[in-house]
Amino acid sequence: MKRRIAQLLLLSLALLLNGCWSKNELNELAIVVAIGVEKVDDEFEISVQVVEPSEVSATQPSTNRTPVTTYHAKGSSIFEAVRSLTILTPRKLYLAHVQMMIIGEELSQQGVSDALDFFARDHAIRNDFYIVVSSETTPKQVLETLTSLEKVPANKMHNSIEVSEREWASTSAVQLDELIKNLSNKGNNTVLSTITIQGKTELGTNQSNVENVDTPAKLQYSGLAVFKQDKLIGLLTEEESKGYNYLKDKVKSTIETISCPDGRKLSTEVIDAKTKVKGKIKNGIPSIDVSVRVNQNVAEVDCNIDLTKIETINLLDKETSKLIKENIMNTLDTLQKEFKADVLGYSEALHRADYKEWNKIKNEWVHLFPELEINVSVDVHTQNSGNTQNSMLHNTKE
Amino acid sequence: MERRTLNISSLKKSSSNDTVAQELSIPKNLNLNLGENIRQIKETVGNSNDIIIREVRIGKSKKQLIAIIYTDGLADKGIITDFIMESLMLDCDTTAVSDTSNVIQFLKDYCLTVGDVKDIADFKALYSSILNGETVILVDGYAKGISASTKSAKDRAVTEPTTESVIRGPREAFTETLRTNTALLRRKIKDPNLWIESRIIGRVTQTDVAIMYINGIANDKIVEEVLIRIDRIDIDGILESGYIEELIQDTTFTPFPTVYNSERPDVIAAELLEGRIAIFVDGTPFVLIVPALFTTFIQAAEDHYQRSDVSSLIRILRYLGISISLLGPSLYVAITTFHQEMLPTAMLISLASQREGTPFPAFVEALIMEVAFEILREAGLRMPRTIGPAVSIVGTLVIGQAAVSAGIVSAAMVIVVSLTAICGFLFPAYAMSNTFRILRFPFMFLAAFLGLFGIVFGIIALFFHLCSLRSFGVPYMSPLAPFIPAEQKDTILRFPRWAHLTRQRLSNSRNMTRQQNPLKNKIKG
Repeated sequence: MKRRIAQLLLLSLALLLNGCWSKNELNELAIVVAIGVEKVDDEFEISVQVVEPSEVSATQPSTNRTPVTTYHAKGSSIFEAVRSLTILTPRKLYLAHVQMMIIGEELSQQGVSDALDFFARDHAIRNDFYIVVSSETTPKQVLETLTSLEKVPANKMHNSIEVSEREWASTSAVQLDELIKNLSNKGNNTVLSTITIQGKTELGTNQSNVENVDTPAKLQYSGLAVFKQDKLIGLLTEEESKGYNYLKDKVKSTIETISCPDGRKLSTEVIDAKTKVKGKIKNGIPSIDVSVRVNQNVAEVDCNIDLTKIETINLLDKETSKLIKENIMNTLDTLQKEFKADVLGYSEALHRADYKEWNKIKNEWVHLFPELEINVSVDVHTQNSGNTQNSMLHNTKE
Repeated sequence: MERRTLNISSLKKSSSNDTVAQELSIPKNLNLNLGENIRQIKETVGNSNDIIIREVRIGKSKKQLIAIIYTDGLADKGIITDFIMESLMLDCDTTAVSDTSNVIQFLKDYCLTVGDVKDIADFKALYSSILNGETVILVDGYAKGISASTKSAKDRAVTEPTTESVIRGPREAFTETLRTNTALLRRKIKDPNLWIESRIIGRVTQTDVAIMYINGIANDKIVEEVLIRIDRIDIDGILESGYIEELIQDTTFTPFPTVYNSERPDVIAAELLEGRIAIFVDGTPFVLIVPALFTTFIQAAEDHYQRSDVSSLIRILRYLGISISLLGPSLYVAITTFHQEMLPTAMLISLASQREGTPFPAFVEALIMEVAFEILREAGLRMPRTIGPAVSIVGTLVIGQAAVSAGIVSAAMVIVVSLTAICGFLFPAYAMSNTFRILRFPFMFLAAFLGLFGIVFGIIALFFHLCSLRSFGVPYMSPLAPFIPAEQKDTILRFPRWAHLTRQRLSNSRNMTRQQNPLKNKIKG
């Protein structure tokens, strides 16, 4: 009995020895929600966006401070720059809740993989934040722009890229692990979404930006950026980005607008799209078959058309399929002829299809890709026409 | 200088029956002379004027001197007057009494018209009878006496239980009189195999203790063990069943109770049907049940009176509430101090904004709030009825709210602490809720020093401890550990009545079958 008590006392002494090791109180942390990385004159420039909790909380009254603050620092490596931020910030930076990472144009043109090692290696940083490239602007300016509706701009960027990938299909939400996996494959080709500032950049940094009904400066996602060997080589337009997403089987929902026989427009909502890619190598010549299957609903009818007839529906199917195929062919054209970059993973598809044959030709892939024969077939199926059948204005228009 | 050492064994030797016997030096046997007996009685009781000694003469010639001795207040004066005094003085056949061969036997056989009579041979039995409310009749010339049962039936009425209330179920509770309590239990179990063993414990208080069990269902070895432990008790007074609980329990160095207590007859009857043993103590309505397992303290009587599906869900809720009551503040402290990456970002920002400006670290805040709530709770118990509720409302709401407004604690902390306190009331057994109140604090310390690692370490240590406990030889955590599949039907979930076919193996000896066939007989035709 006495021994038991003695053992217990010794154990509790051990607790006192370690104290509160690695303890962080909540009000000692500077919560970083977005990081921007740019290369300026051979040095890395890091910008961080830090939340001011009292401004964002629901209960306490807000003063006139902005909900976020940014800090910038330069260093010869990213880690050095991050640590040197401590001479600016009043608290230790807490990187575990980063939502977005923005890579500058300069750095992307020099090679984006330089920036990634620190973020993959550090134990406190998650790998589920999205990576985008800033276009026609710098990460610093993007991080300094205030947004309406979302107090924390990083949240706006995070939500926006997820929702637009799901509903509009012209962006691609790429996380750190996916990016590293793509870059470490042979071929080193990948895409990232781009973000720009629409409107007057310099007005975005002020609190007055969000005090207007129509904010003068808005953060907007534009087309996709294409990388070859981890260097930025060009941007795709929004239509081409959509085509890219069709090719990569990433479309969940989007809009297609076709012309009716009488010249007016009809919009359909794609609710389901599935793409199958099959590789073939015949006599040493590779080819790819892409088959896209799309389910859609009629969303908006502006023309004089009778939707109760089966012929009309077949016409819609045909027209939409023609439109989507055209878009995809344009995208392939750009990627093959203009950029000459295989961002679609077709090398893997061919590897999967015929491993032996692929091994013979894989060293020539860089030259083979621009000439690659890609057969696209699109199959569209219209399911329903929404809550009404024929447009109510059917009869009032000629 | 000589060092004085404390010799524990020598201390133990000196405490013995000698000192106590010295205080209560009672001459052993009665005298033949009545006057001498009465003188000795008056010497022993001193000036106590409620021990009444009435000397009368009976017999035709009014020559036989007897003394009637009773305690005013404990004995029923109506019975004494109507049945003892009247029958002795008026109706007794006088001629035969003069025959001095055996007056005592004569009185017992012909004259005393009361229910039960006993022989008294010495002073110890005399005082025991008198102080229990019986009447002693001493006869001059004889060194023996008669004790007639005249116990007063004055008793607190059987009312609703104060500590365990149910929505559906019987609403009677035990009272302070032993005989009433055993009678209430007999009304539930009308089986002659319900046996009572009585003992008298406590040298000064001479408290009646009754041990009841169903012979044939209860495990004989456990019954034997209980009787051995009770007979081993050597203490000056037993005032409440809690004294006996502490003296017979298996281990003392544990916060978990291994003896269950209840003031409801239906709960005790249910436990007896499981094969357990009930210990009644005169003077308290709380009856002990041994052996008691962990699951006994988490189950409520009502679980068996409501439907099985509702009861199962409520039991799951209770287990959830129990975990919150133990780990609530510790989890909050651990996660906000060490593991902020586990929180969703929006929640983290909200919590961070609440903590802006508060001076203390999360752990100190938690400690302050917990201690404050414990103080309020204890004070609420002792408060007079009239101001009790008002002060408790003031205490909890206003002080908590004021502390938040003053910026001393954060609002989330108040929420966590009050939720934890409310979950503590989910326990049907008060004894177990105290245990968890105690255990909350070590867990908070572990969380503050070692984060989630410390909490898991504490939980593992707790499980080790629980699995090593035994209650009268039965493992404390059965039927969860050792896992007995046949007994899972009443542990966490309560299966419907037709599934309860056998009793618990470790508490029973022979009679394992509860019901013969499943009751789901389908009507054919």
